[in-house]
Amino acid sequence: MDLLDNLVLGIGVAFTFQNLTYALLGCMVGTLIGVLPGIGPVATIAMLLPITFHLPPTASLIMLAGIYYGAQYGGSTTSILVNLPGEASSVVTCLDGYQMARRGRAGAALSISAVGSFFAGTIGTIIIVIFAEPLTRMAQKFGPADYCSLMALGLVAAVVLASGSITKAIAMVFLGLLFGLIGTDVNTGAQRFTFDIPELSDGIDFAPIAMGLFGIAEIVVNLERHLERGGAIKVGSLWPTREEIRRSIPAILRGTMLGSLLGVLPGGGPTLGAFSAYTLEKKLSKNPGEFGKGAVEGVASPEAANNAAAQTSFIPMLTLGIPSNAVMALMVGAMIIQGIQPGPEVMTKKPDLFWGMIVSMWIGNAMLVIINLPMIGMWVKLLTVPYRYLAPAILLFCCIGAYSLQNSTFHVMQVAIFGVLGYVFVKLGCEGAPFLLGLVLGPQMEEYFRRAMLLSRGDAMVFIERPISLGLLITTALLLILMALPSIKKAREEAFQEEG
Amino acid sequence: MNRFLTKDFLSGLMFVAFGLAALYFGQHLAVGTPVRMGPGYVPRMLSLILLALGVVVCIVALVSGSEPVERPKWKPITLVTLGIVCFALLFERAGLIPALIVLVMISSLAGEEFKLTEVIGNIVVLSILCTIVFKVGLGMNISVVQGIW
Repeated sequence: MDLLDNLVLGIGVAFTFQNLTYALLGCMVGTLIGVLPGIGPVATIAMLLPITFHLPPTASLIMLAGIYYGAQYGGSTTSILVNLPGEASSVVTCLDGYQMARRGRAGAALSISAVGSFFAGTIGTIIIVIFAEPLTRMAQKFGPADYCSLMALGLVAAVVLASGSITKAIAMVFLGLLFGLIGTDVNTGAQRFTFDIPELSDGIDFAPIAMGLFGIAEIVVNLERHLERGGAIKVGSLWPTREEIRRSIPAILRGTMLGSLLGVLPGGGPTLGAFSAYTLEKKLSKNPGEFGKGAVEGVASPEAANNAAAQTSFIPMLTLGIPSNAVMALMVGAMIIQGIQPGPEVMTKKPDLFWGMIVSMWIGNAMLVIINLPMIGMWVKLLTVPYRYLAPAILLFCCIGAYSLQNSTFHVMQVAIFGVLGYVFVKLGCEGAPFLLGLVLGPQMEEYFRRAMLLSRGDAMVFIERPISLGLLITTALLLILMALPSIKKAREEAFQEEG
Repeated sequence: MNRFLTKDFLSGLMFVAFGLAALYFGQHLAVGTPVRMGPGYVPRMLSLILLALGVVVCIVALVSGSEPVERPKWKPITLVTLGIVCFALLFERAGLIPALIVLVMISSLAGEEFKLTEVIGNIVVLSILCTIVFKVGLGMNISVVQGIW
């Protein structure tokens, strides 16, 4: 069987000493930034992108992936112990996790969330294995026009599902697309928006942009708000009671299913998964009044969901080359840095990288249970490090990371500029993620658009005449129309209000 | 005046400004025809759409209102940006350690609490860490202190 062959190949790649080390390193860093509020996976991956130059492609992708799902584990620790979400995706875990901790059940909450996350991660990985091949085969039939429409759908869906104001978010996508055009035009060699700066002629690097938008801007906002820390709580016994186990098993199953599904959607991902899972549990529960007072389902289900979604959000990126959220956009960047063009070719041309990465995700999940449970005391201690130590350190790593991209201080200046821009975005309530997606997809989308138009002799009808492209465009239009309907618009606004 | 100082109205203005800037700086690029697109075709298209979206955001904000903008605190953003710029200027001329000292000093001032002993401790720890990780570990071609190491 093909599937088994592929898995064996993947196991062979993932179980080398080097790749195991980088998986562990990624998971450790991920847990660390998950535990520390004020720095998320986007900024961290952006910071570490330059370092991946020095690593082989498989090792670097394994490490970056580890950071992403490691952050989901780490984020829950702080939510449960000190009522501070380390990551956006563990905001809901605070609601019941912290209440459990106050009743002395912190250890149980932690182990349920770790085991639930591990289970969800395993299922998520299996889903990737099953769906990767058929999706890739489908994607290989796509022509330039279809790709262009697929990207349009990806961008629109990302906007619709992930942000507050749709018009503003779409404008942010276009702004990102425009920034993506900076550099030399591939077809004619003309310099576009480079202002005679030689560093810009190769195109704008998105690592410094991501660092500025997600790292620097976040630090500044945290400094303004004067981040407070609560005192840590005693962990207590890690063993859940029989009753807690009985109640959390179905919750974990439901969370895993919902999370896996939402993770695949463009714009979906851990945060959406966790919020939806919590809402679902509350609706299904026989006594919804318990929620918010330490209901074990309210920890188990969202924690499973955010991890499942973190895994399955790799599917569109790995098979189609289309990132569904900001972290995936950076993973695309990491591949491009290594000279790999993300898309359906990755699986056929680099099967060792593809399957090695997938198997390593499962190994990483197993490592995380070990990192998180027995070593919990160490992470709790880290929580007592005040933000005034962390902020300068994060800034410093951003600066050095930006410099090492091409050994030029020009990129450090870029971090400063996009830090200011990111701060303006935050103040005006504009989301950074759609901007980053537009920026990453911009150059490719232009390529496909121009190629499609050239093939059709300038006839824009090609986007409607090809059935795949037409289907994708209709879906895009339907999504937009749906969101404009008054009733849905209202429900959506309420949902986002709850999140905020 | 408050009607205009809202998040949505100002972001609309920002989009319009970016759209206009892109049109202005892209005006020398040949647009070409749909079959043979010049380098300016897609930029022109994108800037016009951005411009239009910006106008829509502005109008909607004026008609249905939006949240007022929080008053920005100038200290953190100014000091953090200044710190990064100083780092960029010093890094190649003076080396990692001097640039690090200036960046950590300036950015520590951005917070609410500033204790000199703590900041010095932070600088010492970070200097050792960065030297080990970046210079020794990753073997990056940087000078720790210009002219010495």
